[in-house]
Amino acid sequence: MTGIAQGPQPQAGPNRGSISLQGVTRIFAGTIPAVDGIDLEIKAGEFFTLLGPSGCGKTTLLRMIAGFEVPDAGRILISGREMQDVPAHKRAVNTVFQSYALFPHLNVQQNIGFGLRMQGVKAPERKTRVDAIMELLQIGPFATRNAAQLSGGQRQRVALARALVNEPEVVLLDEPLSALDAKLRNELQIELLRMQKRLGMTFIFVTHDQHEALVMSDRIGVMSKGRVQQVGPVLDVYEKPRNVFVAEFLGLSNIWPINPGGGAQVDTPIGPLQITASVGAERMAMIRPEKIWMWPTRPERPNVFAGQVSEAIYMGASTQYRVALTDAPAAPPILVLDTNNVAAERSWQAGEMVFVELKPDNVMMIEG
Amino acid sequence: MSNIPRGVRNGLLGVSLPVYLLLYAPLAIIAVFSFAPSLHHPGLNVAAYGLLANDPQVLAAIRRSLVLALCSAALGTMLGTLMGFGLSRFRPAKGGGFWVGTLPSLIIYLPIIMPSLVFGISEMIFFNYVHQYTGLLSAGLLTMGIAHVTFQAPYVALVVYARLAGLDANLFEASHDLYANGLKSFLYLTIPVVRPALIGGFLLAITLSIDDFTISFFTAGPGSVTLPIYIYGEIARKGSSPEINAIGTLMIATVIGVALLYYVVTRQQGRIGQTSAA
Repeated sequence: MTGIAQGPQPQAGPNRGSISLQGVTRIFAGTIPAVDGIDLEIKAGEFFTLLGPSGCGKTTLLRMIAGFEVPDAGRILISGREMQDVPAHKRAVNTVFQSYALFPHLNVQQNIGFGLRMQGVKAPERKTRVDAIMELLQIGPFATRNAAQLSGGQRQRVALARALVNEPEVVLLDEPLSALDAKLRNELQIELLRMQKRLGMTFIFVTHDQHEALVMSDRIGVMSKGRVQQVGPVLDVYEKPRNVFVAEFLGLSNIWPINPGGGAQVDTPIGPLQITASVGAERMAMIRPEKIWMWPTRPERPNVFAGQVSEAIYMGASTQYRVALTDAPAAPPILVLDTNNVAAERSWQAGEMVFVELKPDNVMMIEG
Repeated sequence: MSNIPRGVRNGLLGVSLPVYLLLYAPLAIIAVFSFAPSLHHPGLNVAAYGLLANDPQVLAAIRRSLVLALCSAALGTMLGTLMGFGLSRFRPAKGGGFWVGTLPSLIIYLPIIMPSLVFGISEMIFFNYVHQYTGLLSAGLLTMGIAHVTFQAPYVALVVYARLAGLDANLFEASHDLYANGLKSFLYLTIPVVRPALIGGFLLAITLSIDDFTISFFTAGPGSVTLPIYIYGEIARKGSSPEINAIGTLMIATVIGVALLYYVVTRQQGRIGQTSAA
């Protein structure tokens, strides 16, 4: 990167783009903390997603990394550098806002070039770089249009280009796809991901959409009530949620309270369950509905329960069943998700008798 | 349009036509009568305008009105802009609360709905007291200017506030995010973005000042007869005349001109990006 007269000094080395949050806390006007003592390490070049319901503090956390909010306690390090006294305009961090925040008095090119212009990059180099990023994001056809004349998808591209053109160490994305329709959203998810892998910048993506988080991220941090509930690779967080909140926020699940029976068995409201996981402080058993097998006849294996299909909802690629267990009529019906692929032996109608199998490997122990 | 029943449409037309007539017929009549024949000039003619151009009293009044309008509008726009920024920053929606959000906006907007008669009389009494005890602020163009600024500023504040409130709340953060410090953000974002509102507010302030009679009347001194006060005096002495009609016509033309300018400028605010350089 050449020609930078002002603005942030680029950091070199493997640390470039890493983020370290240490006990970061933000309290608004004496109420409960919006962000409550968060410790988090985000690796350089990672696509990291902060996932949580609205009001969980994820946007506040993002705003503190950007420099729009100052933590009341704790430290933020970007590329290994303490950010306490570094204002937003001196951080090598660029944000894609949920509302896009395109400048209404500038056209698309001028919007994209704004950051370079503020850093004192000379016009010829500015043009080269703006043109390059516009080419990459296929913005050329509407380069001279005004922000007000763009569609939602085009605005999103321009907002992304305006951040990427500065080659920042970290790109922050605050629910950038939430205003778009489903099809465009899927397209842009893929494009965003491709762009991130290609440019190798650290992306921190904030969303409340668990599907989006699963599709895009290297790692996810699930947030609730100002705290990080669980951090890990997508697969781990989905398959081995730490607690009920994470299990339920990331997808459908069957959850029962347990009494440890000692050894490889726990007592649940649906009866004793054999498990392979070891039981520590956890007091809940969880199994994802797509991990449950349905059989017309009883297989001679552990964790098989007789029941009746009480509800069958066809959802295209899959069907969602509720099965009321014969031996545990008081327990809520079990949720089962079955794919409608070519290998599926059969589907089930409401009222049919079935046997559901909860393989011990698939039963997870989680916290309340 | 087409799904409005014919009867309703005719009814609406029956109401709106007389309203337009009442609004614009008097203006048309004044304009026509400014060309009316007089004792020495039979037939439609421009003699009234010739008299105006040679009447030192009229010319002085026009000059005073323009000086007053330009000076007060300049000051009123500056103050009003600051007020507009303040209102926008502490608006209740942004957590300003009653004392720093709602109350200041109420106080600022009060002069807009306050009857100008009350406003004018209280200003007159106030200036009198100040003059009596300090010797400063004797009634004249200065007191009129101060009074004009006080009623112009809220209107400008309203225009500027409306512009700021219509902007994306993250715009200013976006500029900082893109490496602009406070000064650069002000120069390259704030100023260009509120410029249409500034120009619009300034033009509005000018028309308000040129147009004002009530407050001007109470705050004027013997040496500060502006156009509206001059017209009032002439009509009180000898009733309507072609010269008064001519002055009226000129004022109408001026105000329509300023209003058109205002319209063009405010319409432009969405399109500025296409014309300015990278």
